[in-house]
Amino acid sequence: MAPLRGGRVRGAEAVTRRPDDSVDAELQFHLEARADDLMAGGLDREAARGQALREFGDLEDARRYMTRVDMRLETTRRRRNYMGDFLQDVRYALRRLRESPAFAATATLTLALGIGANTAIFSLVYGVLVRPLPFPNPERLYAAYSANRSADMLRGSVSPVDLDDWRAQRENIEDLGGYFYAEGSTGVDLTGRGEPRRLDAVFVTPGFFPALGVQPSAGRLPSEDELVRGGRDTVVVLTHGFWMREFGASPAVIGSMLSLNGRPHEVIGVLPPSLRFPTDGADVFVPYSTIPDSGIPRLRQVRVLSVVARAKAGASADMVRSELNTIAARLAGQYPEDRAWDSATIVPLADVISGPVADGLVLLFGTVGLVLLMATVNVTSLQLSRAAGRSREIAVRLALGARRGRLVRQLLTESLVLSVIGGAVGIGLAAAGLQGLLALAAGQLPRAAEVSLNAPVILFALGTSLITGVLVGLAPAWRLSRGGVQTILRDRGWSVAGGRHSRLRRALVVLEVAVAMMLVLGAGLMGRSLVALHRVDLGFNPDHLLAVQFTIDPGRHSIASAPNSPAGYATYYQQVIEKVRTLPGIRSAAAVKDPPFRGNGERNGFNLPGRPVPPGQDPPTATMIHVSEGYFATIGARVDGREYTSRDTVAAPLVLVVNEAFARQYFPGERAVGKSVLAGRAQIEIVGVVNDIRQVAMAEPARPTIYIHNLQNTRVKTTIVVRTAGEPLAMAEAVRQAIWSIDPSQAITSVFTFDDAVSRAMARPRLLTVLLGAFGVIGLALGAVGLYGVLASLVGERRREIGVRMALGARPADVVRMVVRGGLGLTVVGAALGIGGALALGRYLSTVLYGVSPTDLWTFAGMAAVLLLTAGLASWIPARRAARVDPVETLRTD
Amino acid sequence: MGLLQGTLDVLILRALARGPRHGYAVARWVHDRTGGALQIEDAPLYKALRRLEAADCVDAEWGASEHNRRARYYKLTPKGRRRLRAEESTWRRYAAAVSAVLRP
Repeated sequence: MAPLRGGRVRGAEAVTRRPDDSVDAELQFHLEARADDLMAGGLDREAARGQALREFGDLEDARRYMTRVDMRLETTRRRRNYMGDFLQDVRYALRRLRESPAFAATATLTLALGIGANTAIFSLVYGVLVRPLPFPNPERLYAAYSANRSADMLRGSVSPVDLDDWRAQRENIEDLGGYFYAEGSTGVDLTGRGEPRRLDAVFVTPGFFPALGVQPSAGRLPSEDELVRGGRDTVVVLTHGFWMREFGASPAVIGSMLSLNGRPHEVIGVLPPSLRFPTDGADVFVPYSTIPDSGIPRLRQVRVLSVVARAKAGASADMVRSELNTIAARLAGQYPEDRAWDSATIVPLADVISGPVADGLVLLFGTVGLVLLMATVNVTSLQLSRAAGRSREIAVRLALGARRGRLVRQLLTESLVLSVIGGAVGIGLAAAGLQGLLALAAGQLPRAAEVSLNAPVILFALGTSLITGVLVGLAPAWRLSRGGVQTILRDRGWSVAGGRHSRLRRALVVLEVAVAMMLVLGAGLMGRSLVALHRVDLGFNPDHLLAVQFTIDPGRHSIASAPNSPAGYATYYQQVIEKVRTLPGIRSAAAVKDPPFRGNGERNGFNLPGRPVPPGQDPPTATMIHVSEGYFATIGARVDGREYTSRDTVAAPLVLVVNEAFARQYFPGERAVGKSVLAGRAQIEIVGVVNDIRQVAMAEPARPTIYIHNLQNTRVKTTIVVRTAGEPLAMAEAVRQAIWSIDPSQAITSVFTFDDAVSRAMARPRLLTVLLGAFGVIGLALGAVGLYGVLASLVGERRREIGVRMALGARPADVVRMVVRGGLGLTVVGAALGIGGALALGRYLSTVLYGVSPTDLWTFAGMAAVLLLTAGLASWIPARRAARVDPVETLRTD
Repeated sequence: MGLLQGTLDVLILRALARGPRHGYAVARWVHDRTGGALQIEDAPLYKALRRLEAADCVDAEWGASEHNRRARYYKLTPKGRRRLRAEESTWRRYAAAVSAVLRP
């Protein structure tokens, strides 16, 4: 029984009197009492009154003063009462929770799960999508691209030559600069500090640092003339991470020399730790101008740079876009190489960084929102059943004169206490869950380092807890606020049909089942999608396939008579491959420039004999990938015709291998082997067609591709691909030694197995599947618990009816059937609603699904079956209990 | 003779030391005890009562007077009692000091 003393004794008079009335009454009493005394002393009434007033002094001033103080006191008193009531409610709520530990634990854990999951996912959403980029005025930053509308390439890389013109002609753009970076493949060789090593490098042009607004954390950033050809461009800026790892954050390193690609570079500065753009994996930032023409020729048609631009204050996105469009159109008119690239695209930088994961994060956030909704409904349902259990208490208290508003407040306080405890536990769960989440998402999440349980996230968790608390308390409070003592007592379920509140609880269960259905469907679709990804025909066999990547230094591997001659380094890696092939435990070895999932190839135009391109149009383009002889056999691809062999030497006539996508597009219905492609005037024969190989991503089918023999058209970037007999990584050291036996100062970029590359390519969908699967299971469990709870309490309330039925001849099996049918009935309605919801929301899933439609019939059927089965089980337990009702017993109790 | 700052407060607290009284009773007590030597009007007395109430030194409650009229009764709070003790000793020291100075 709750205490009814309200702490209202002290301010009692204020409820009935306004302060000035009370002051008047007090003064009145004084004057009358004085006059009475004076009259007793012999004065007449008039004289007595007059003297009393005179003795009093300034009556009006006293009255004003007293009224003012009284009003102030009243306000304080009211506030104190309110707080007192609140604290009292909190204490009462805590005591009641202690009295029913099973309920308290269930409700707290349910809410903690909901709030914790939301907090963890919100911290990702906040850190990755919401929080501004760590640059000054980040809203003015854009990524800029060259666009070729005729080829439908709107986000093309930018030529360094064009970029110089963009920069020179800019007006509304404060500054812009380019960078050249590809994870794992752009780098510089560090020598002179132990074993030769490949450093991950970002190559930058003038304008890059000013556009971002980066300030160095030590030393300085390169000046304009340190970033251009012919300038003093042998400088290097260290990332904060590399500075810590390599030099223990020693400031003495500024001004020292590092040997990069065999040339001394001066260390001029260190970047701040907050700079994680374009990657947080880089070691150094190096001037783009240090890349020699033999590496990337500096030509207008060679478009390799990503560009960031900062708009001037007040300049809108449209102004920046139209300015770049104008410049691009001008250049297209001026230079034939730029003819088709007559426009530009700009995208807010934040969208470019977070874009790839935005869909997935929003989907996850929506999903945990549903989980929280279920948790809320579940606890509401529990609260309702508790409210039913204590309706007699409440009715008695109402009858004793407790104010309804006060009782409602008490119920709400109870829910709030529950949700705040749940929220606190939830924040703990989120902290633990977030660590796991970030570990699972390693390498898949941009800006992951900016994700933490920071103040906005904690505020979100608290806000969510409070809102949840109010929602959970609303239904019981609402019921209490309506109807009289009689209704509440009647509603308790003493009527056979069950009262209004059981209808409400049924509706809540239907809602819960609907949400569970949606969660389970999401998990099911994502699972099917992952299976589809696993079944993708890669076009090669990643098993026992090892890759060792390095970049040839053209300075060291050229024929003396022809510096930087491609033939020079072609010989070099031919030697490497042959050396590797002699190693024991190696089945075969070959080389490729862009291995699957580790490079996209180059994009080049070509012509077909007899199919001239009309003037003003661009020739068709295809992906070009450089491979060595024996590459397809090594990776396990099938070739129609033949692949490159040792007969295809530099001197032999040029031949080509294309993929099936290429053959399908340009020689539909024909065998492409024996056909030819034009390069300039020369006809080059296609000697082989290889099956399609997934190159860019698991979910992305192969593009039309031309495989070029790397002896005939050489690149410095090389990956040696090795099919091993045993554990592939065990062979890595032998391969490395083989390379060093030919060039002891060759830096190795990276070593990986293709099993690992494939697994990484699946990491993001796998992560989403794991999370959606977990939320699906939670949803199913919450739904089952909710259904069980409602059925169990309905059975409890209908014991008498069940007893009567059994007395009239119903068998236990009939009772079981009746209860289970009731549970399944609710489930079917909920499942139907959930399927409707899933159909409506399916488009949010479609962006992350592969190979399965968001309305896939089999998934829907399967998941509905899972849900019905779970519901059947959840109904069966209370049904069994109902069947054990002893009719004699129940009829006797009332 | 003017009233020293705080004198009225201590007189009121003293008036209430024996138990709750209404405002008029406090006024009479003060008047009687000072034998009319201090010309105290009732207005500042009531203001002082309110001031003491706001300072949580006295508490007020409506009750019936000796003639069965509704009157507002004041009583000392624990805080008021402490303040009275403190002021009394201050006064005693002050009075002792003054009379020591005046001793012939």
